[in-house]
Amino acid sequence: MSGILRRIMDGMDIETFLVCSSEDEGRRLILQFMKEIGFTDVDIVFIQFQGPGVRVRARAYVHRPGDTYGWLKAGRTGEDAL
Amino acid sequence: MTPKKVLLAPIDPVHDVGLKLISRGIREAGHETVLLQPDLEPEEIIQEILSHRVDVVLLSRTLGYGVAEILARFVDLADAVGVRGRVRLGIGGMAIRPELAAELGFDAGFGPGTTVEEALAFVEGREYLPGRGKESKEKQDLTRGYSYAYRNSRIAGLLSVITDGILDWAANKTSPGVLRAQVREDLWDVDRWRNYEKMSEFLAEYPGLCGEVPQNFYLKGVMHPKTRRFTREEVEALEQYVRDTVERMSLPGLRHTLQKPVVFNQYGTGCPFLDTGHIKVSEAWGADGVIHFDPSWGARTEGFMDGFLTHQEDGTVITPANLNRIKMSLEPGTLWQVRAHRGLNTPETVVLAGKFKADLTKINICYGALGAGTDPARLTVDGVAAIRYAAKYGIPFDVVTNEELCGVPAYKAFAGMLITADLSLRLGAKPALQPLFCYSPEVMLEGYMRDNYVDFNVAKVLALRRIIDAPVWPGAPIGFMTQTEDRVQSSAATSYHASLAAMLGVDAITIASSDEAYSGGPITVPSKVDTLRAVAEGFRFFGHTSIEPSAQARAWSGEIESGIEGVLRRVADRGDFVQALYEGILGNLEDGAYPGRNGRDTVLEK
Repeated sequence: MSGILRRIMDGMDIETFLVCSSEDEGRRLILQFMKEIGFTDVDIVFIQFQGPGVRVRARAYVHRPGDTYGWLKAGRTGEDAL
Repeated sequence: MTPKKVLLAPIDPVHDVGLKLISRGIREAGHETVLLQPDLEPEEIIQEILSHRVDVVLLSRTLGYGVAEILARFVDLADAVGVRGRVRLGIGGMAIRPELAAELGFDAGFGPGTTVEEALAFVEGREYLPGRGKESKEKQDLTRGYSYAYRNSRIAGLLSVITDGILDWAANKTSPGVLRAQVREDLWDVDRWRNYEKMSEFLAEYPGLCGEVPQNFYLKGVMHPKTRRFTREEVEALEQYVRDTVERMSLPGLRHTLQKPVVFNQYGTGCPFLDTGHIKVSEAWGADGVIHFDPSWGARTEGFMDGFLTHQEDGTVITPANLNRIKMSLEPGTLWQVRAHRGLNTPETVVLAGKFKADLTKINICYGALGAGTDPARLTVDGVAAIRYAAKYGIPFDVVTNEELCGVPAYKAFAGMLITADLSLRLGAKPALQPLFCYSPEVMLEGYMRDNYVDFNVAKVLALRRIIDAPVWPGAPIGFMTQTEDRVQSSAATSYHASLAAMLGVDAITIASSDEAYSGGPITVPSKVDTLRAVAEGFRFFGHTSIEPSAQARAWSGEIESGIEGVLRRVADRGDFVQALYEGILGNLEDGAYPGRNGRDTVLEK
């Protein structure tokens, strides 16, 4: 995990508009994209299809409750993470 | 300080009101200003700088097109005539980002939202220290100014009869929850605990009054399977994080010109570390108070564990150490509510809330017994004890009506709320009424919100105000069941409900995050910022605008009031509050309420 990612308090959302022909296709594309950019703990928070495509917000959890949080030490004394 | 001569110029075809405000602020601080007209060429501005022999130049640029080119031309000219060496150049406005200003060679760049104080610091050549504003945020007493006088004497009379009956019934009864609270109250000292002193008397008594999970914890050192202790390194990192964050925090107000409602949001990620992160963000974005949200299994477990524990599911475990750490992380002006309303640890939670100096708690016998799974007899015994402790510690509490979400009609839920409130007043406590602002099953079935979300919520507040002069704190959270996974819709819905609450002059509100309707994972902190920002915008938009209740709202409020009276009459006629709960007078199976079973047959005769 990069030093910057460790500074994300809990989750990171990517919100965009995908040109596609159905909600299913939009769902598949955004999940594929999230995995392609390196996230594994991903979900779709919101998706809405209309003719031109989907308005979608996907989420990657970087820190879940109970994890060891990188941001606790990030930014201090040059450290980026625990 | 030597007064400076400052030239301010919009490098734009239009004037920038921000520049005028800054010019005034600089002048009021004792400096001389020269404010140029808009639409001058860079060459003309340079000429003015030379002729006025100024110390500082502040330019503004609102329009985005061609900004880099025109500013680069200005800097080149300033260099060419030797201005750069002796005049400090600043640039601000909607089109400016600090990175662009630095790239072009300006001494400072001020983006959107720059304050007069920020510009003044640049003029005076000193570091800008953002106003901390901590001292301006003071805790509000939600109950102040309320007489708790009844305005509906028939309802007052019925409540008095019911309260007499509850106190008579509970007088010779106790429970494991009441006994644990007593042990916690008498044998557990928060200062000794903070000093790591072993409280042998407490440990000799307490585990025997607990269920299996806490017993295993105290006697065998076995943790709940979904919890773990933090390491020392993690704890030290958290302490440092809080210190660093507090140092750079400012505490902006959320309410614009309004004194109320006080705005609460919940925390309860499961992990007190992440909670602390969420709380600091909530405070920084204007929340006035935060509410401890514990896991549902905690309400079904007899007793508390101890230790600084994380829990990997929704809801943060109540332990003395967790409460202590969270309390330590709060800003002095942040209100803190520890909920005690629904489970087997109700009185002990209030004792802990008192010992850790929580500002508020939450108690409702009827909701806990009909919508949250605790046996009515048990919660009545425990509820009476909890209210006595709340009175002793001087902790006000809201009386929540979440049984509405099960399908119980508002008038029945309100009857239950008023019973707990009246009982509380008799015992010297200070309740706040918590009607839901929600799209409840009753509302859906009856079509009360077919046209708008306003009238029925207004009707609820009007009805309560016609009955008693008491604080009103809609919740929890406002807009329940109106929010979707769309964060724009969710934030807007919260903002509209908050604005309605403000127009009705209620004392407090509890708001959700924009993740309210998302159930696929934990709530994230940006979603809390979403709704805090949306609520702030609502308060800014409406200010002190008031609302005139519609004829429909007034009619519904009358129906709610008479419905409450009818339910209270049936409870009073039944002559036994606990049996009234079992028999569904305050919410029945058809409504969607059912008498809880947790703690059944645990009530003990003294």
